[in-house]
Amino acid sequence: MNGYGGSILRVNLTTGQITKQPTPPEVARDYIGGRGFGAYFLFKEVPKNAEPLGPENKLIISTGPLSGLMVPGAGKCDWTTKSPLTGGYASASMGGHFTAELKYAGIDSIILEGVSPKPVYLFIDDDKVQLLDATNLWGKGAFELEVDFKHKYGEEYQVAVIGPGGENMVLYACVNHDYGRQAGRGGVGAVMGSKKLKAIVLHGTKSVPVADLAGYRKAGMELYKACKDAEGLAEWTRYGTTIVTSWCDEVGALPTRNFQAGSFEGGKGIYGQTMRKEIVITDKGCFGCPCPCGKYSNMKRYNTQVEGPEYETIGLFGSNLGIGDIQAVAESNRLCDDLGIDTISAGVCIGWAMEAYEKGILTKADTDGLELKFGNIEATFAVVKKIAYREGKLGALLADGVKRASQKLGKGSEKFAIEVKGMEQSSYATHNATAMLLAYMTCDVGAHHNRSWAITYDLQVGRDKVVPEKVARVIWLQNFRPMFDVLGACRLQWVELGINRDLYVPLLEAITGLHRTWEDLEAVGNRIWNITRMYWVREIEGFGRAWDMPSRRFYEEPPKTGVTAGQITKYEDVIRLLDMYYEQRGWNTNGLPTADTLEKLGIASLVA
Amino acid sequence: MTATVRPFGILKSYIDNQPERLVEPGRTVRQTMLDLGIPPDVVALVTVNDEQETKDYLIQEGDLVKLIAVVGGG
Repeated sequence: MNGYGGSILRVNLTTGQITKQPTPPEVARDYIGGRGFGAYFLFKEVPKNAEPLGPENKLIISTGPLSGLMVPGAGKCDWTTKSPLTGGYASASMGGHFTAELKYAGIDSIILEGVSPKPVYLFIDDDKVQLLDATNLWGKGAFELEVDFKHKYGEEYQVAVIGPGGENMVLYACVNHDYGRQAGRGGVGAVMGSKKLKAIVLHGTKSVPVADLAGYRKAGMELYKACKDAEGLAEWTRYGTTIVTSWCDEVGALPTRNFQAGSFEGGKGIYGQTMRKEIVITDKGCFGCPCPCGKYSNMKRYNTQVEGPEYETIGLFGSNLGIGDIQAVAESNRLCDDLGIDTISAGVCIGWAMEAYEKGILTKADTDGLELKFGNIEATFAVVKKIAYREGKLGALLADGVKRASQKLGKGSEKFAIEVKGMEQSSYATHNATAMLLAYMTCDVGAHHNRSWAITYDLQVGRDKVVPEKVARVIWLQNFRPMFDVLGACRLQWVELGINRDLYVPLLEAITGLHRTWEDLEAVGNRIWNITRMYWVREIEGFGRAWDMPSRRFYEEPPKTGVTAGQITKYEDVIRLLDMYYEQRGWNTNGLPTADTLEKLGIASLVA
Repeated sequence: MTATVRPFGILKSYIDNQPERLVEPGRTVRQTMLDLGIPPDVVALVTVNDEQETKDYLIQEGDLVKLIAVVGGG
């Protein structure tokens, strides 16, 4: 099958059985790959009400038809599972070089099932696939273990590994790869840890068939040329995602002290230009990337190095914790990566705990003696370690995520738990940005930004306006942007460089032999969106509108400081946003896809 | 003497799709953007002579000011 590795690798960790089956052509036709494969296999294969950290849950790792080929940023793979954090759908995208090797090993998806009786790692070298003993590796940090595997097998082997956070099933544990890339959100690392799978080590040497080799080369070169010629390439490469830090501060979107405000008086200490001057050593790109956004940093004060921090980490371990010190933020990033926990969720959980401490809801008796005030750098490092090991009262409380923590603590702390569907909100304050707020409310995994990043649209149209055009924009982005995760390539060439997306159309056709316009691809995106919505409906009793509500902070507590001081989204506008969203999606007033919508999308039988 | 403002991508639409504009120094980047009709909020990155600066930077003679919007987000 052109554009595909050709097989689905199934590994049963309970029995040790390893099997391969041909990639079903009809699944490739209808769901294309990556996130599409993940959604399909999750819905079809994981039984209803499966315990997320039990043997019935599956972890599905998928490449897309562009993965590993001559396509800018074709190093993305999707990690899908039932989320232990939310109880619903989880899909995390990981860059680096893992997906290319997976494809070269002839594999489109790995489906991990069951629970191993002892720690193991999965070793793949083309057709040689083994589960090997990892008893002596259990407990190791992600960086050390990746180095060990590289020394053992060679630099050409790609490694994905969990840290202690995954082993201890922190509900937002991540998977680490390439010393700084993660499958970050939703607790995919906890699921891997529950299966006693410490790592995947892989190498592949096979060719990937393409339908039209000359056309593929031509279209691929045109896309690369467009990237190379793009205005802003030098600037985006120089600063990466940290470009937006100062802008978010300026427009009131930089989360500050647990999202109590959107501007930070210490912001300059964490801006992109500060980071570039103070700590960045060099740039780091993923497979085939012409505009490497990753940055390697050296933290002289701590004598440590890390890839990062990215904007999300800067916001949530910087301003969100009242810390205006880029070296400290980068060190928190390093600790989270090595210990294997998601920086976004961890930053939100710690911000919540700091606010609770300053309000007297948490005391030193709850924090194991830590003075957990905003701005306390050493306390931040200490809490990160406690979370990863579920150490003490505080570590155990925060390791289960901010929603559970606030429900357990009570005393009004639920009001400032910044999450949707149980997933902590990423790094955009949305007190007065209604499209971005709706994007978070309706995101398919919880409060994550990458499906629909609509905040510039708020600024263009009017940030407090609640109009159908904003809702339509959010939906269009939700159908379109995740298609990059389906195809197995990075979206940032379009996002950052403004590359004409139509350049992907002839390239995809030359690779797969199938002509698909962006309208066709968006239709697939819409189908996947509705399947994952139905997954929530299937797994969560009573799922509906209440699960799409944002943190109360965004409609009850206007910021007291910063450029959005006094500004807030009205409750009735939150409700109107959902009303319009459901109507435009073809869902009922409780947010459930109607039978007619499912029928039109051709997924009624799958989700029945 | 003058300075040069060069908006990238969609920001060109605010200056009649011209590649750049010559401006008088002595005003901040933010004031200059407003003079040109470019909304400051939609500009994510300002560089002056290839170094990132804030919109409060006072434009000097001979400066090359580049303005970059975020097209589709992070």
